Amino acid sequence: MPDSLLSPLHTYHIKNKAKFIDFAGWSMPFSYDGTIKEHSYVRTDSGFFDVSHMGRIEIQNSEIDNLSKLICSDIKNLDEGKALYSIFTNSDGCAIDDVIFWKFSDYIVLICNAANSSKVIDHLKEHSISINVITQSTALIAVQGPNSLNLMSNFLQIPDEFSCVKNDIYTYARTGYTGEDGLEIMVSLDNLDNLIDFLTSSEVNPCGLGARDTLRLEASLPLYGFELSQNITPIEAGLKWTVTNKNAFLGSDVINEQINTGNHQILKKFTIDSKSIARTGTNVKAGNTPGVVTSGNYSPILKKSIGFALFENQPTTDLLEFDIRGKLVEGKIIKKRFLS
Amino acid sequence: MTEKKYLETHEWYSLSENTITIGISDYAQGELGDIVFVTLPEVGEEFSKGDSMVEVEATKTVAEAYAPMDCVITEVNARLESEPEVINTDPCGDGWMVKAEVKNLDDTGMLYQEYETFIS
Repeated sequence: MPDSLLSPLHTYHIKNKAKFIDFAGWSMPFSYDGTIKEHSYVRTDSGFFDVSHMGRIEIQNSEIDNLSKLICSDIKNLDEGKALYSIFTNSDGCAIDDVIFWKFSDYIVLICNAANSSKVIDHLKEHSISINVITQSTALIAVQGPNSLNLMSNFLQIPDEFSCVKNDIYTYARTGYTGEDGLEIMVSLDNLDNLIDFLTSSEVNPCGLGARDTLRLEASLPLYGFELSQNITPIEAGLKWTVTNKNAFLGSDVINEQINTGNHQILKKFTIDSKSIARTGTNVKAGNTPGVVTSGNYSPILKKSIGFALFENQPTTDLLEFDIRGKLVEGKIIKKRFLS
Repeated sequence: MTEKKYLETHEWYSLSENTITIGISDYAQGELGDIVFVTLPEVGEEFSKGDSMVEVEATKTVAEAYAPMDCVITEVNARLESEPEVINTDPCGDGWMVKAEVKNLDDTGMLYQEYETFIS
């Protein structure tokens, strides 16, 4: 097996006693103080994540017309200085990756999932889109939590929600993946120490991918490879709001048909009151409608078991029965977000 | 109470006359990450060596603790119902899981030094 890729902050992580996890070919911190403590830093105060494993690609704005044919959202009419969450779809309307775009006056920064970086790069090249991959020449740090903006305002100008800005050193946006306000900051490796020194001197705690996963799940946010995949469309994943591209794009015929007919598999959120976690791959039934759990874990805020499950079609009941290692466990579909 | 002994499945046990106290090792709790739910057996429940006695749900994964020898449960650590995190903070002390009456003594666990070599 090839050696894992290491974050530019690897030495920092070791010094801070991180437990590591191999993720998409990278060795990244899973936790430092424990997932639940780190979850709490972000929900109640602030924390920062090294997400330098995520793919970062620059695309010139002259490619927007071509790019627009590959994603389900309207990037053409996106204002400069705005961020956009969207999905690259395949000819079946299913997800190649879910990504963030930061649009500037002359170019776009595309941030994709680490596990999908090479797939996205190949896909863009196949469609003759010129790209500049900057993943390994930069770092990406997410500072998240209710106190994060107040703190970061001592260091950077804070943009409006879902907006992006850049200065000579930092390219960043008011985006995130935790359900909390915050910034995602890209910086060249030369200037990374300044940012980390600021965060350290401000006593912002580092948080690992374990907390990132419990935070995103509790915030009802999908994770590629689980809630989205090459067999799941944005409609099926409950992400119809991302389909704002009025023009034809790859797989738009399938997606439009799903919108019109409502006839498709469907992702639902669930809670379980008993002390069981329905983990990825657990079989579940809503009446006669079969499904499978895509993600499941403990919600530290709700103090109960939560998750997403993908059903073959729209269930006619909210009452669920999970088969957890041979034991039948009851749960229920919830329509609202996990956190109000 | 005898010195703690450890199993390859990462439980520890100690014996006091005919009573065995069982928990999971510090190494095991570290590998599991934050423990959020513990499902304990009932007092009076009987287990054969190797049976699953306790289910431990953690943020990272789920694990089971197995019976080190044939035994009948006499006491469970009820504190774990509301404070499962005690297993993370004190796995070999306050984080004990069950006490049981030994039915068939099988004191073949590893002493700590041997277990330490096993996990390293």
